[in-house]
Amino acid sequence: MTELSKLTELRKLLQDMEQSLGLQELSTVEKDVYYAASDVAVAPGPVKTTALLDHRLVADVSRPTFFRALKSLVQKGYLVHSENSARGYYFVKSPER
Amino acid sequence: MFLQTIAKEAGVVSSAYVVAFFVTFELLMPVQALFFPEFPSRASLLFLPHGVRVLSAWLLGWRSILALLPGVFLVFLYVAGTGAFVPSRLAAIAIAVSVPTVIFFVLRLAGWDLHPQVGKNPRWVWIMIAGLIISVVTSFLTNWVFDSSLEDYFAYLIGDFFGLFFLLLLLLLGLRHFERVRAP
Repeated sequence: MTELSKLTELRKLLQDMEQSLGLQELSTVEKDVYYAASDVAVAPGPVKTTALLDHRLVADVSRPTFFRALKSLVQKGYLVHSENSARGYYFVKSPER
Repeated sequence: MFLQTIAKEAGVVSSAYVVAFFVTFELLMPVQALFFPEFPSRASLLFLPHGVRVLSAWLLGWRSILALLPGVFLVFLYVAGTGAFVPSRLAAIAIAVSVPTVIFFVLRLAGWDLHPQVGKNPRWVWIMIAGLIISVVTSFLTNWVFDSSLEDYFAYLIGDFFGLFFLLLLLLLGLRHFERVRAP
């Protein structure tokens, strides 16, 4: 087992603890935005922000909260800016597990 | 190459053990004395080094014995000075470094293989249970060697259990903070 895989195993263990104790990394709004992005995404293409805003999961979320959640998801690595497309396009990344 | 790996693992694990020891005895013990002034035992009720022992044995298997040895010995040397070389303390060092990996091995022989494997998701509760078994055996053997009181035995058990739990929690929060800082 390599050093990297040992770290991965430790991380998997900590993720299990995080889920069991309800200490998940994502807030409710972040989860809604992420689920909406996963729902809208057609692999392997990017997701457009306007398509996310139209999704019923985020219909009740205010614009500032939505964009804060979007920014947070990018920071946490759940969404990645699309470099080849215009602004407002994101790729959905699956959390490791 | 193999020796390099052993040396690197010993560096990381032993450093973690020494740091966990100093956090436990220099930071947490004074707090414990404030909240439980009537508690007579010198044992810590939140013994973080137990977490280092359990996690290193889980991840490294038998190599954790070599990885833990320098750290455990340094801690004994710090606490007891040259008294670290008396037979009872040398026996306690041997118990501290070997029992965790032996317990994981025995559990595997009994059909409960907890060692990390690719494609298998580890459960933290299982590691906590293994940590508890390791604690029971280590406490029993250490107290037998030192002829300690029953009170010390239970103090060790409580300290080990909460030590492992809080070490996992600290790693979880530390990893989360590190990822947040690292994110673009």
